[in-house]
Amino acid sequence: MAKLEASDTVVLGISIDSPAANAAFAKQIGVTFPLLSDMNKEVLTSYQILKPYDVKGGKYQWAQRTTIVVDKEGKIQHVEQGDSAVDPNSAVSICTGLHKPKA
Amino acid sequence: MRQISLLLLLVLAAAVVPLPAQQDTIAKTNLKVGDVAPDFSLPSNKWEQVKLSDFRGKKNVVLAFYVLAFTGG
Repeated sequence: MAKLEASDTVVLGISIDSPAANAAFAKQIGVTFPLLSDMNKEVLTSYQILKPYDVKGGKYQWAQRTTIVVDKEGKIQHVEQGDSAVDPNSAVSICTGLHKPKA
Repeated sequence: MRQISLLLLLVLAAAVVPLPAQQDTIAKTNLKVGDVAPDFSLPSNKWEQVKLSDFRGKKNVVLAFYVLAFTGG
């Protein structure tokens, strides 16, 4: 996180949870960046990362675990999906790279 | 340092807390490097609207999509 802040980067967590659930979650894990609620699944739909889950016979549509890095121009610089998206190292290195002045 | 350990904690939590049963396939986005990220405005855990385009020209943004709170996903 310190590396990210140093590289002029903010982190936004996004899920289908309610703001109340996210507030409790943020407190539990101690994050200081915002956790956003996509309760209508609008963003998950526009980013095409709604994934079907089956829990004890119940069918749900939640987020595919995904990390996307957006640069200051609003353009996507990095997309990572699946289990590897949990590891922040590649996103951190991308952002650190974005921070470097262009030659 | 504290921030780093918090992030580590998040990653570790992801490793130990099992997610609900899920399919192995990845819901693969068609968004790719160079595309403009679709804008959005969503409520934060403090009920403040956070808009992606508000960071335009100011900050890089890491969007970390997770499955559910309290699951480490």
